[in-house]
Order: sequence, then structure tokens, then C-alpha cells
Amino acid sequence: MATVDSGPFLHLSRPLAPSTFNFQNTLAPLLVNIQPQAILSILDHAVRRDIPATPTTSSRVIGALIGTRSEDGSDVSVVSSFAIPHTENEDQVEVDVEYQKNMLSLQLKANPRETLLGWYTTSPELNSFSALIQNFFASPETGTFPHPAVHLTVSTEPGADVQLRAYISSPVAVNAERAAESCLFVQVPHKLAYNDAERSALDLISSAKDNESRAAPIGSDIESLARSLESTIDLLDRVSEFVSAIIDEEQEPNNALGQYLMSALALAPKVDPVQIEADFNNHVQDVLMVSYLANSIRTQIDLSQRLATAILSNDGVEVKDGEKGERGERGERGGRGGKRGGRGGGRGGGQQREPREPREPREPRESREPRESVE
Amino acid sequence: MADFKDVPLKTIQVQALVVMKIVKHCSASFPTTATGSIAGMDQDGVLDITNSFPFPTADVVNVEGNHQNDASALAAAAPRAKANVAYQNEMIRHLKEVNADANNVGWYTSATMGNFVNLGFIENQYHYQRENDKTVALVHDVSRSSQGALSLRAFKLTTTFMTAYKEGKFTTESLQKSKLTFRDIFTELPVHLHNSHLLTAFLHQIPAKPTTSEVAMPTSLADLQNNPIQMPLYPSADNLDLSIDPFLEKTCDLLLDSIESHYTELNNYQYYQRQLAREQTKITAWQTKRKSENAARVAAKQQPLPEDEWQRIFKLPQEPSRLEGMLNAKQVEQYSKQVDGFTACISAKMFAVRGNLLPE
Repeated sequence: MATVDSGPFLHLSRPLAPSTFNFQNTLAPLLVNIQPQAILSILDHAVRRDIPATPTTSSRVIGALIGTRSEDGSDVSVVSSFAIPHTENEDQVEVDVEYQKNMLSLQLKANPRETLLGWYTTSPELNSFSALIQNFFASPETGTFPHPAVHLTVSTEPGADVQLRAYISSPVAVNAERAAESCLFVQVPHKLAYNDAERSALDLISSAKDNESRAAPIGSDIESLARSLESTIDLLDRVSEFVSAIIDEEQEPNNALGQYLMSALALAPKVDPVQIEADFNNHVQDVLMVSYLANSIRTQIDLSQRLATAILSNDGVEVKDGEKGERGERGERGGRGGKRGGRGGGRGGGQQREPREPREPREPRESREPRESVE
Repeated sequence: MADFKDVPLKTIQVQALVVMKIVKHCSASFPTTATGSIAGMDQDGVLDITNSFPFPTADVVNVEGNHQNDASALAAAAPRAKANVAYQNEMIRHLKEVNADANNVGWYTSATMGNFVNLGFIENQYHYQRENDKTVALVHDVSRSSQGALSLRAFKLTTTFMTAYKEGKFTTESLQKSKLTFRDIFTELPVHLHNSHLLTAFLHQIPAKPTTSEVAMPTSLADLQNNPIQMPLYPSADNLDLSIDPFLEKTCDLLLDSIESHYTELNNYQYYQRQLAREQTKITAWQTKRKSENAARVAAKQQPLPEDEWQRIFKLPQEPSRLEGMLNAKQVEQYSKQVDGFTACISAKMFAVRGNLLPE
């Protein structure tokens, strides 16, 4: 799992909760893993907000975070999120609790292993409304209790970097009455985590980031291979440029980089050229053979489909029947083509049982081919 | 609303969010099939897909692991299940409240090595396209995406196929008449990815090529190893992976399965034809018998017996549907194209490896 870390900050452990929460004495969660689709969903929601910011009201939107918790609760991963409609002005905030409840149950129906983790907002500021909402999400009835609720702020200011911060909270208040609307936010570390499957998707998504149109076509494998090769060659060129600059004494040498490059080069296997040549030829032939076979099968099946619906000038079932037999023969030949170069066995006729025989030896053979070639 | 013209869909534009959501859902439930619904809007022939959500796969999770196929079958049938239609409507109603595009524009499914062409797929897409012509099926191939380039394709049934499927007739005769071949079952639409401005800003923050030309040099090897340089997300080096043989092998296996089912189809058809021939002979025999009988009766000045009674006496066997065979052919075409793609990649890589290992 690859990660993108957040910037440095002072990580404090949060104060232990007072009497009502006294059995909740873990400092968890210590780490928040955020999966990209959660962020993307938050950003999408931020784009779709309906009130533009005014001096008196904020334009932030809120939503819930869902995901999974590790067993001891010290590690949470935010898998997805959903938006919650809310209105906010100078002196009051309204969150559609009913909506949150319904949406949560809908989401959990599709992903039964996930739970409510907390909430997000699209402004970096923490205010008393934040505390109010935080307490709602942390409460035993509607929230994540006994686990602390995670609060994620995503700054979506135009012209500034998108900044992520994760918090958990502790109840604080000057007196018991005010406990509902105040709490102490403690920042916790977070990171952006993605796995291999998401890697290819992120690759595609970021391929569009330098385009004016913000769009990218989903290309074929070979195109992306070409791109990768180009960038690899480019990287290699840069390294060799760097090395030759050092050799020409134009640049300060660096021991660490030298060592690193040496150990990387030492990984190249020492092999016998003749052996390699033979293996290479074998493998390429295998691969090409498989491709050839696949294409001849395709042609045969295509032909068989065409013949099946071909309009025959002669009437009568007999003619059709004969053609049918030939079809069987042809389809069969397609499968067998690998051994006979696709040319053998051109007899027509209705020997319907005949196709069965040569198939048995062919099957294991053909499926084994690529395996044989794995070195 | 004045110029609400009916433009056929030309391209599909998928938002990054949808791509991520589909990839996450499909890879999380791999190898079980995953299905879900997509929402968006169509405008001037471009279908913009802006949101997606998975279908719940009810209660199969807590069945023991070896019921994987059941789960797959259930998930594959999910888009047309009654409960899920309700779920989908409910979800879309909720999404509408937060300003998301609240139109259902189809569904998505996961696939392994391109094995998605089957009756279930057709049925699902028919289910959607029957009500709204501008719906598509997105197919995300988990196995293929894991080796580099993301595979996400959009399909839609053709109108000819829709009419044929509606009638439910796939006999030789009807296929001859409609000129429907396996190539015309569905059309593939080009898929483009689209990012929002905000997302573009965010993407520029996650690792990319260093912007400054001056880089601080590491002081020791350990320094370099402890803080490895983050490779940029794009272009990735993942698809330089050499282990493509397993993919080729798997495709060959699937191809063999297809040939197998092709045989089954052929045998079914041959059985039908033999059956038909047998009945035909019987009928002809009956007809000649009746004719000679009638001739005898006419000679005896009796009323001739009706000659078309055979329709009641003999029952011709039902012609098996050609649909399965057509789908199979489509599937084979799909596999062989896939093999072509793999071959192209692997041979390029092979030559690279040889160039690397052999001295000039």
C-alpha cells in the first residue's frame, strides 16, 4: 500500500474524558488512512454546494465519513463518504438528521462491513458549530461512541492548496450545560492510502491533470505501455546525464547516490547469451502462437456463425443438415488449428461424433503452452 | 427545454469520482462479480456520468466462502432485482437532495479477463435500455487493470438487437431476416475521463516530478533508502511488469471454455436438426400414405380425407435459440482481441528484456 503523508504537526494525545466518559480511556485513533475515493467524493460535493460564500454565512458543506476500524480502534480507514444537507448562518446550524440516518442505512446495506467513522467539512476552520456537529457524531445514539468521531477538514479555498486535516475531540466545557456545544479538537495524523487496484485508476486520473480540458481518453494497454517506456527512458537519460556530468567533473559527486546506483546495477543478472537467445525465441514463438490460435479460433467461430444464418438457395432440411455437419467440422478445425497450422482436416460431411476425439489431447496442450514458457 | 433534441449517445464522459468508486467496489469484491448503478446526465450526445453506488448483495456475505459462485450469480442479477430497483430509486432521491445528478443512466459491472458477455449482461442492459435508451453498461476489468492500464469500457445494445430481444426470437429464419450477427449485439462507446477543477488542483499536490531543478543531495545511502523518492502517479511504471503469461494463460483457458460451449450449442442444434429430419420423414410418409388412400377413396367414389391433418398429428420440434451461440461468438471475438493486445505488449517487453540482457 502506497501512501502520501501529510505535513508535520505537533501530535498531542488528547486529554482523557471526564467522568461520564471515563471508561473510554484510549487515545485512539492514532492514524487515519484516507482512501482516494473518499476525498474525491468530498471534492465533488464541494463543487456541487449550492450557496456561494457570503460574509455572514459560510459556504462549507458537510458529510459523513464511513469506513473500517482496526480491531483495537487505533487505525481507521475512511473508505467513502456521503453528503448531508445542512444550512448554517450566524447563529444557528441545521443538519438534516433524518437524511443522515437514511443515507447511512442505505450505504451500509451495500457495504455491510463498514461503519460510521465521523464527518467532514469543506472549510479548514473549527468553530462552535463544528463542536456541535462533532458532539452529534460522537454521541452514543447517533454517532460513533465508544470510538471517537473523526473530523476531517478539507480546505477548498480557490487559489490555495487543498489541505486535509484530521481531528478527534475531547469534551470540554466550563459547565455541564455548555458541554453539548463545545469540545476540544486534537489533530491526529492522516495519510492518503491507495492500493494496487486504485493505482491504475489514479494513474489515469492524474494523466488528465495537465490537460487544458481536464479530460483524458481511456486508452489501450499498448498506448500506456508506450508512455511508460518513454518516461522510463527519460529517467534513464537523466541518470546517465547526471553520471556523465560527474565524470566530466562538472558537478559535485555524491557518494550516496553513487552507492545507490551501483547496487541497482548489481541487480542485473549474469546470464549466458546463448541461453537467453534460446529462451527468448521460445517464448516469443509461444506467445505469437497463442495469438495466432486465438485469431484462428475467432475466424472459425465467425465463419460458423455466418454459415448458421446463411441463406441457402436450396430448400429442404437435408441440405441444411449437411451444412450443419460441415459447421461442426469447421468449428472443430478452428480449435485444432494450432497443431495442424489451421489447414488440416478439410473434409466436410456429417460425422458429428468425430469432433470429440481430437479435442481431448488438444486441451491440456494448448492451455499448457503459456505455462511452459514461464521461465 | 425548448430544443430538447434526441441526439444518440456518442461518447461517455466519466468523472474521476465514478472511476474511483467503481474500481474500489470491484476490486474489494473480487473475484465475486460486483454490480452497481450509475447516475449522470446526457447532453448533446455526451453522457456525463457523475456518480455511482454499489448494489447491496443481500446476505450472501455471511454464507461460507465456497458459495462464491452463488454470490457472483446473485450480484450479476442484482441490477434487475426488484429490491434493487427500489434501492436505486431511494438512493437517487437522496443524492438529488445534495445536488448530485439524479438520473439513472445505467449500471456497472466487474469482469475478469473480459468474460462479461453472457445472457445476464444482456438481460441487465435490456432491462435498463428498455425504459431509457440513453443508458450504458460500464465494464471494469479488474484483472486487466491490475497489470497497468485501467480497463473501463462502455457498452450499449443496438436497436436491432433490442427489437429482436423484445420478440425473444433468435431462430435461423428471424436472424436471416433481420441480418443480425453477433457483431451487432452491442456497440462500444468511447470513454473519456473528466476531472473537476478542484480535483485538478488536488492532483497537483500529490507527488509529481520535482518542480525545481536543484534537488538536495542525500547524505548517505541509508538516507536514500529510508526516504524513497515518491514516483509520480503518472506515467506509472507499473505496466512494465513482465509477468503477463498468467494473463495469457487465463485467457486461453477462458477461450477453451468458449469453444466448449460452442460445441454444446452445435450439438444442440444438430440434435434439433436430426429430430426435425426424422419428423419430416414421418410426415412425408404419412402424406404419401394419405394420398394413396385418397386416390383409393376417389376411385371408390368416396369423400377424400383432408390432407393437412398432419399438422395436428405431428409436432415439429422447437428450434433452439441462436442467442447463446451469438453471445459465445462475441465472447470469443472479445478474447482473441484481448490476446492480441497482450501479445503486442509482451513482445515489446520481451525485446526490451533481451536488449537488456544481451550485450550488443
